[in-house]
Amino acid sequence: MGKPNDLVQGTLDLLILKTIELEPKHGWAIGKRIQQISCEVLQVQQGSLYPALNRLERKGWIKAKWAETETGRQARFYSLTASGRVQLGKEAANWDRLSAAINLVMQKS
Amino acid sequence: MAWTQWLRVRALFRRERFTKKLDSEIQFHLEQQIAENMAAGMSREEARSAAMKTFGNATAVKEAAWESWGWTRLEQLAQDMRYALRQLRKSPGFTATAVLTLALGIGANAAIFTLVNSVLMNNLPVADPKTLIRVGDTNDCCVSSGTRDRGDYSLFSTEIYERIKKTMPEFESVAAMQAGFAYRPVIARLDGSQENPRSVMGEFVSGNYFQTFGLRPQAGRPISDADDSKGAPMVAVMSYEMWKRNYRGEASILGKTFWINTKAVTLIGIAPAGFYGDRLSSTPPDFYLPIQSMPVLANAPYVYQPAVSWLYIIGRVKPGTNLAVVQEKVSAIVKHSMQETQKFTSDDDKKNLEKAHVVLTPGGAGIQDLREQYGSNLHLLMGVSGLVLLIACANIANLLLVRGIRRKTELSLRSALGAARARIVRQLLTESVVLAGVGGVAGLALAYAGTKMLLALVFPGAQSVPIDASPSGAVLAFAFGLSLVTGILFGVAPAWIAAQTDPSDALRSGARNMATGASLLQRGLVVLQAALSLVLLVGAGLFSQSLNKLQGTDLKLEAKNRYIVHMNPQAAGYTQAQLEALYRTIEQRFHALPGVKEVGISLYTPMEDNNWGTGVQVQGLPHSNSDASVVKVSSEYFDSVGTHVVMGRGVGVQDSATAPTVAVVNETFVKDIFPPGSNPIGRHFGAAGPESTGDFEIVGVVEDTVYTTARWKDHRMYFIPIMQRPASSKEPIERDESLYAGALVVATQAPMNNMEELARKMLAEINPNLAVVRFQTFDEQIADRFNEERMVARLTALFGGLALLLATIGLYGVTAYGVARRASEIGIRMALGAQRTGVIAMVMRGAMTQTAIGLVIGVPAALLCVRFVESQLYEVKGVDFRVLVVSVLALVVATSLAGLIPARRAASTDPARTLSAE
Repeated sequence: MGKPNDLVQGTLDLLILKTIELEPKHGWAIGKRIQQISCEVLQVQQGSLYPALNRLERKGWIKAKWAETETGRQARFYSLTASGRVQLGKEAANWDRLSAAINLVMQKS
Repeated sequence: MAWTQWLRVRALFRRERFTKKLDSEIQFHLEQQIAENMAAGMSREEARSAAMKTFGNATAVKEAAWESWGWTRLEQLAQDMRYALRQLRKSPGFTATAVLTLALGIGANAAIFTLVNSVLMNNLPVADPKTLIRVGDTNDCCVSSGTRDRGDYSLFSTEIYERIKKTMPEFESVAAMQAGFAYRPVIARLDGSQENPRSVMGEFVSGNYFQTFGLRPQAGRPISDADDSKGAPMVAVMSYEMWKRNYRGEASILGKTFWINTKAVTLIGIAPAGFYGDRLSSTPPDFYLPIQSMPVLANAPYVYQPAVSWLYIIGRVKPGTNLAVVQEKVSAIVKHSMQETQKFTSDDDKKNLEKAHVVLTPGGAGIQDLREQYGSNLHLLMGVSGLVLLIACANIANLLLVRGIRRKTELSLRSALGAARARIVRQLLTESVVLAGVGGVAGLALAYAGTKMLLALVFPGAQSVPIDASPSGAVLAFAFGLSLVTGILFGVAPAWIAAQTDPSDALRSGARNMATGASLLQRGLVVLQAALSLVLLVGAGLFSQSLNKLQGTDLKLEAKNRYIVHMNPQAAGYTQAQLEALYRTIEQRFHALPGVKEVGISLYTPMEDNNWGTGVQVQGLPHSNSDASVVKVSSEYFDSVGTHVVMGRGVGVQDSATAPTVAVVNETFVKDIFPPGSNPIGRHFGAAGPESTGDFEIVGVVEDTVYTTARWKDHRMYFIPIMQRPASSKEPIERDESLYAGALVVATQAPMNNMEELARKMLAEINPNLAVVRFQTFDEQIADRFNEERMVARLTALFGGLALLLATIGLYGVTAYGVARRASEIGIRMALGAQRTGVIAMVMRGAMTQTAIGLVIGVPAALLCVRFVESQLYEVKGVDFRVLVVSVLALVVATSLAGLIPARRAASTDPARTLSAE
């Protein structure tokens, strides 16, 4: 397994929020999803995923609920709260600006 | 946000559950990963270890997840607290000393301040006390007439009060109240009950009294202006205290009849709970009665005499009123009233009338006679307790300094092991705060007990003192704040210094420090303590010397086997014409008791809080403008109190109402008024004026028995037979209140413990309404007059002792610490041949040097401080040599002990052991 790319500071929050925008997911699925969508480029360090989930829960952006998975196992499913949705909007806009700015710099020089 | 707060709080208290939850979540995660790995073709074992490896350190993840809830700081605090408590438990000696020191310092101050706060600062428990205005600025009492030299009036006639009330719209409401009610108790009994008539306090007040103070009664209705108008039925309001105490707070008592001074009065209301009248006193009113009923109830002839002043006035002015204008107007009213209603002939009176005015003062605290009485002493005690607190703080500082330095090695070690500097300092801060907190709580308990003790000292024998013993918020905040600041300042400073040093450096030298013992700061603190405690000891010595002098005064009386029974025949309904018969009956009945030697009857007795005075002029001598105190006495009175006749005769049975009017004067009277060498017997005197100077013929001279206060040793006095009245008096006998005896003195052959019971029974047999106002042995009555001086002497002695104790502990701490630090040095000295005595001397020299410097500072300081208290001392001028010597000796002995214990320990050092420990 190659060395995973370090996520830019603060982007993990954005990715988590984005991943659960449409439907609630449990921790493992969130990590897996990020990995899949990014075509294995982004590796979420498991050690930072759970503290991040707890941090977001504390901020009130996501909430957690025990529920059954398709295989009938109990797991903690995370979903967006109303304020989490607002936050996602803000952070996405921020990211857009930032990445556009970085692209500009990269193209011009 | 409230939701997330709730989650955080829940998380804090459920860390265990949180961890469990996280565990199962991680478990689930791992299982998913394993399943995926196995699907990719790994064996179960491979899949498992790969999953674990990917996941990383599960414990760190849990810790990080927990920390993201932000509770670790609080946890650290709890950890610090636990650690601090463990540390404090580990050194019980240090903890006990520190806590005790803090408790004593804080307790003493909180107790004194609570008392000061109640007596000197608290407002009456009434509506909006700040807007109350008192008319007048002195505490003159109780019934007076004539003019005042200073021209400022505080005591007013009913006539002046009514003028103010009628003509001054500036006042929203203005009330008047009897100044001297405490000297005029009433006798009360509930109609139709089995209770005995009892002597209680009744205050006569204007109809708008309760309204002016903005008070709503607890039950029933307050006295109204209608109740205070002529011809209205007689009514009374009872105090809440008495209602609860004697009638169990029963509402059925309202509307019932009370026999007050044998007249029927209807109870209309109960005063609000907590209201103790218009002044702080140990004898608050039990009944409030309208002024209008006073002539009938109290048979007081002066109520409507414009020349007699007996009322205090407190009012509320309308918002925005100019007080200077009000003061002018009231002054004008007082002057006009005096000019219109009285004739003043003497030049002095005319001059005084020109100066007549009033001064308005804040009225929120009511009539402040207690404030005047105790003010200077309370301030003194506050200063003294402040010094004790200073000494206590110095002690705490010293203890913490010593401890901080002693822990240098420990702190260095912790620092070397990677503890953050800030964390160490925070740990020590927590320790200091915990220590201060524990000391503060102990101090509070002490303050509560101390205040109770103080109240008992200040108001001995009082049934209900309206002062709450629990310290106020301000007191608590001050005491805790101070202990915290001391703790933080002196607990953290050494810690910070210790933490600054390079750990490796400290570790190397910490174990065997060759420094020269305690620092300059520590020794400076000990010197300060020694000096301060010397000042306090000298002060205590002076106050007890003053008390001794006062108590040692030759009062020229006999107190042994004498009992004083205060009574009130006027309140019992006797008319002046019935008194002579009553006195004969009392004498006969008491003489019939076996063991009774003499039965004296008088207006008042030696050494009690009472004084009647008049101006006197001897016939045939130039006008002298002298005054003297007068007592009306029965034939056995002089023998009953032990006053010896030195010339002529005393008052005899023959001196009845119809016999020629005679007087007995005391030696000071003769010495002051007559030219030296002249014989006073047979001479006449009386009030100034051509008709009255011949009123009394002097038939005898007695020695100067002390009345009123021991400070009045050489006071002019004269005694006249109780039933006699000045020959020239035109006043009808019904108005002569001086015929009513206030006291009965019973002298017995041997102590009679049942005298109180006998006296009550005997008087009740004569007339049930002859209630005993107060019963005391003569000794008790005299002792009461020294209460305040005794309180000050005891408290200054207590504080002086406390200061000495604290200073001794301080010196012991510093010396013991120095010895511990120099253990190896002392070991080497002894190994090199130093003698035990030499070592003891060396340690003692250090301790005594600090004491000596303390003395060098303390003695001049004490000499200087005495000036501030000289006015409160009796016949003590400057510092008495003996007091100074005793104080110095006490300090030297105490500090020697404090030095000797560690010195002996140092001398018993085993050189071999010390050296091998190196």
